[in-house]
Amino acid sequence: MADYTKPIPSPDPVSQPFWDGAKEGKLMLPRCDDCNRVHWYPRVICPFCHSMNIEWVEATGRGTIHTFAVQHNKGLVARGWGDEVPYVTAYIDLAEGDRMLTVLKGVDPNDPDSIQIGGAVQIEFEEASDDVHIPFWRPV
Amino acid sequence: MPGEASKAAAIIGAAEANDIGYPQTPKSSLTLHIEAINNVCDMTGIPIAAIDGIFSAGWSPQIAEYLGLHPKYIDTTAVGGCSFEMHVHHALAAIHAGVINVALVTHGEMGFSQRFTQGKGTGRPGGAGDPWDPGTQHTMAYGLGGAPTSYSHALNRHMARYGTTQEDFAEIAVVTREWATLNPRAVMYRKAGEGDLPPLEKGEWGGGKRGHTFGGPITVDTVMNSRPISWPIKLLDVCLVTDHGGAVLITGPELARTSKTPPVWIAGAGESISHWNMLEMGEFTKTSAGRSAAAAYKMAGMGPEDMEMAMIYDSFTVTAGITAEMLGLAPEGEGFRLWKDRHAAPGGRLPINTNGGGLSFNHSGMYGMQLLVEAYRQLSGTAEDDGFSGDPGKQTSARSCVVNGTGGSLSTTGTLVLVSDD
Repeated sequence: MADYTKPIPSPDPVSQPFWDGAKEGKLMLPRCDDCNRVHWYPRVICPFCHSMNIEWVEATGRGTIHTFAVQHNKGLVARGWGDEVPYVTAYIDLAEGDRMLTVLKGVDPNDPDSIQIGGAVQIEFEEASDDVHIPFWRPV
Repeated sequence: MPGEASKAAAIIGAAEANDIGYPQTPKSSLTLHIEAINNVCDMTGIPIAAIDGIFSAGWSPQIAEYLGLHPKYIDTTAVGGCSFEMHVHHALAAIHAGVINVALVTHGEMGFSQRFTQGKGTGRPGGAGDPWDPGTQHTMAYGLGGAPTSYSHALNRHMARYGTTQEDFAEIAVVTREWATLNPRAVMYRKAGEGDLPPLEKGEWGGGKRGHTFGGPITVDTVMNSRPISWPIKLLDVCLVTDHGGAVLITGPELARTSKTPPVWIAGAGESISHWNMLEMGEFTKTSAGRSAAAAYKMAGMGPEDMEMAMIYDSFTVTAGITAEMLGLAPEGEGFRLWKDRHAAPGGRLPINTNGGGLSFNHSGMYGMQLLVEAYRQLSGTAEDDGFSGDPGKQTSARSCVVNGTGGSLSTTGTLVLVSDD
């Protein structure tokens, strides 16, 4: 944990319920109490209907790969990740709606043809610090 | 006598954020914006969705993204405390011109509370890099950095959706390089049939009239065999990084007629945004150029079928391919065919990026100025003899050109329809 060398996000008052959930291994998502749509990233206002009645719900942690890329260039990625190239970044379509960015675990970056757009993935959390557990996704 | 724009617009409401002063719990600057916006819309009965112009001191792209709005006028003039008076002025002009109907002038700033959030977020305008900016907070853990690291996701999605291939997009780099071999001002220019170039002299640079060591024609294989940067993007799918400067002068019809150089008329113009952080892009195979081009064509009373050439921002081959589709120059999923079937090539029916593009001419980081300069040179006739460089460079007899710039992570677009003087 102390040796986590990659960037660690800073929770803010709006996103705190998400990070609290992450510490317990739960994916918490913001959902509009008026139009019932889930959005990501967290907001104080629904980007679909502009209601300010946002609630937090526990999600399934399931999704599919919308698209991905393989990062090969040390100089173009954030400090800490340079040592891990090649690695696979992906956008995940959440089962509940909207989309997250992630790094895919359990895939072979040297064989991108083996990674399926549309393929099913499951969330997991890595303890980067006492307060921040970072979500990653892995094919199921 | 009042000016023509007098009373063309009015302030119809004003409101504040919910917690101002010394709040118990810090809220980010962005949250302060949103509360005030929600309150003024409540007060006036104007729905947030009706806002079509956003004016703020640096925040406008994030405000648009956060609210899921696609404003037609995006102003981030940030010149100190008087910025907001200026925003009102700009909004008046925009409304008078009929560009927008509802202008939002907005501000949020945690001037007091940021002292308690040192080392975390401050909610500064600009967003990128600020830990509390939501786009940053929810993407920074994964290391994406330079532009290729995100654009590659769009290319992969295009291939999955339409069955296109890396080779298809490589064709764009090949044809664009062909244009550069005709342009002695291009970094990747190289005289045909020239063998190995002599070593560089001290202070000499490796491009321009001398020719670049790696300049000259390339093939699809050259692109495919170049090193991977962010798969499926390879080195030769990526623009150059060069120094470049440029400027254009724009005047009204009267002054334009007195100029020694021929006018190129701005027949149409439009702008739009789909997101700021790629996390919020929605459909990865489309950009907001569909909207900005529709506005530009409408203003011009012309369509893509009337365009005799195109200058398309080619930060990457995928940027050019997708944008050609958005501009209506090719069906969705088939933008690459303009290059592969050589319509975009020298001698083709729709020359594209006649200077050699950002891929092989020059790309200084923000390439939009270079697009304008080349469009002017081709449409005005000054490419034949600009009275300065002595270079030829007249590549086409086109008299109309669609110019499209792309910014951010396939986020923002501006489209112009330019036409030669009658």
